[in-house]
Amino acid sequence: MISVKKVNNRPLNFLERIYLPEIARGLAVTMRHFFKNLFSPKNILTIRYPEQASPLPGNANLRTLHRLKIREDGSPKCVACFMCQTACPAYCIRIEAAEYPDNTVEKYPAVFDIDLSRCVMCGMCVEACPEDAIAMDTRELPGGALTRAEMLLTRDDLLRNLPGEPSTLGAANRLANEYLEGKK
Amino acid sequence: MTPFFEANRDLLIFSGAAALKVLVFMGGIMGFAALLTLAERKVSALMQDRVGPNRASVFGFAFNGLFHPIADAFKMIFKEDFMPARAEKLLFTLAPVFALFPVLALFAFIPFGDYVMVYGYRLELQIAELPTALFFVLALSGLAIYGTFLAGWASKNNFALLGALRGAAQMISYEVALGLTLVGLLMIYGSAGLQDMVRAQGKLLFGFIPAWGVVYQPFAFILFLTAAMAENKRTPFDLVEGESEIIGYFIEYSSMRFAAFMFAEFIEMILISMLAATLFFGGWQVPYLYETGFILPGGKALALNHYLVSALQVGSFTVKTVFFSWFLLVVRWTLPRFRFDQLMGLCWKVLLPLALLNILVTGAVMLFSGKL
Repeated sequence: MISVKKVNNRPLNFLERIYLPEIARGLAVTMRHFFKNLFSPKNILTIRYPEQASPLPGNANLRTLHRLKIREDGSPKCVACFMCQTACPAYCIRIEAAEYPDNTVEKYPAVFDIDLSRCVMCGMCVEACPEDAIAMDTRELPGGALTRAEMLLTRDDLLRNLPGEPSTLGAANRLANEYLEGKK
Repeated sequence: MTPFFEANRDLLIFSGAAALKVLVFMGGIMGFAALLTLAERKVSALMQDRVGPNRASVFGFAFNGLFHPIADAFKMIFKEDFMPARAEKLLFTLAPVFALFPVLALFAFIPFGDYVMVYGYRLELQIAELPTALFFVLALSGLAIYGTFLAGWASKNNFALLGALRGAAQMISYEVALGLTLVGLLMIYGSAGLQDMVRAQGKLLFGFIPAWGVVYQPFAFILFLTAAMAENKRTPFDLVEGESEIIGYFIEYSSMRFAAFMFAEFIEMILISMLAATLFFGGWQVPYLYETGFILPGGKALALNHYLVSALQVGSFTVKTVFFSWFLLVVRWTLPRFRFDQLMGLCWKVLLPLALLNILVTGAVMLFSGKL
């Protein structure tokens, strides 16, 4: 059903029609804001990113800065399978694979670069990863760099664990778990 | 001294002093206009609870955005200077010059102080003393329309041409109202020289009110400010360019050519501030300050050095100019834009009759008070 709201605009009275008192009222509002913010800037809403960051909403599942998970023995969980590089729509991931001398099951990434200046934060790499090795759960917001070099994340920047890790559980890295079991 | 210098001593001193005044005054105005581009963004930011530009830095010092005008200039210089293939090359090049020239030339007539005695020479603090300066100001500001219209015409762009047409209609209309609002002042001061007008405002009314133009002609002041803002083509009246949605006359301009239009707008804002201060707020006059020092209405006097008095007067003029520039910025960021029929109606149906009425009332009062 269509509902129609009828607005009864009252006709302007004389003072409003000569316009000047209303201009003065408008100027009073803007000048009040101007002087208040000039002398005490605490009402200014601007967040000076990247020096300041607004707190992220506590329980939201956000895609934030990437990381590569690390196993118990310190080796990267990533097996350099190129799935994320293939899935990446922005072509921002560059991987160079290398082989462990004592492990014929899997490879490891000698180079793992993410170019944040190209990354679109879509999370496809996380979806694509068969090993659950790459994650976007650091709750840090990327960006705010002055040079392109600062926007390039290398393997050493990426490799880190969150508190409570590493966890060796999970079906995704079953092969790796078996390998680690055999090593013990 | 060689005979040439001996023979032309006065002329040489006059030329040197004039060149010096032009350099100092124009330099000050250019610097102030550059700062005004920053002030525009900072004032609007503070009014809207933001911080405004604060990132451009030299060696890591940003001074809360003080270097932004320099950064803007660099950016403008290095932008591509684009000219449409079908544009009238000569007129397209000349248009920014036409926009910038009248507003710069007008500063020659603005008195920024009384006079300074330097080594026995009387240095007038005005670049060109002209008995008909007020008419010259109006005539030259009428030339500013050429910049707008040539830009729109020479671009060979229909949107630019339409913007220029709006501009021509608006600026020519408000030119009439602007001239008529000042007639009341001419009648009261009996002179069209700006320095004469400022000197006349140094008197006292009833022994304690400074006889500033705004006291005699408060109504004309409001009309003048309105018409001048419309001449300046800034936001309540910015139908000429309408930078956010309707397309303006300088759509085809880029790089420093565009910057010239933009700079002309800011310089015109300073000009309006200076004219408002000169005509209505006593120019360089400080209340109760005379050539020898302060003389308060009660009879108390404070003698001051001649140079200190001059500095106070120039300072007073600067403060008034800065205040009005700030006021124009606040108005620009407060009021929404008029519709075009409202704009024209305001000029022809409101400002013009009121200006004529103001002249009539001023004349009647002068006639009956026997000042005529």
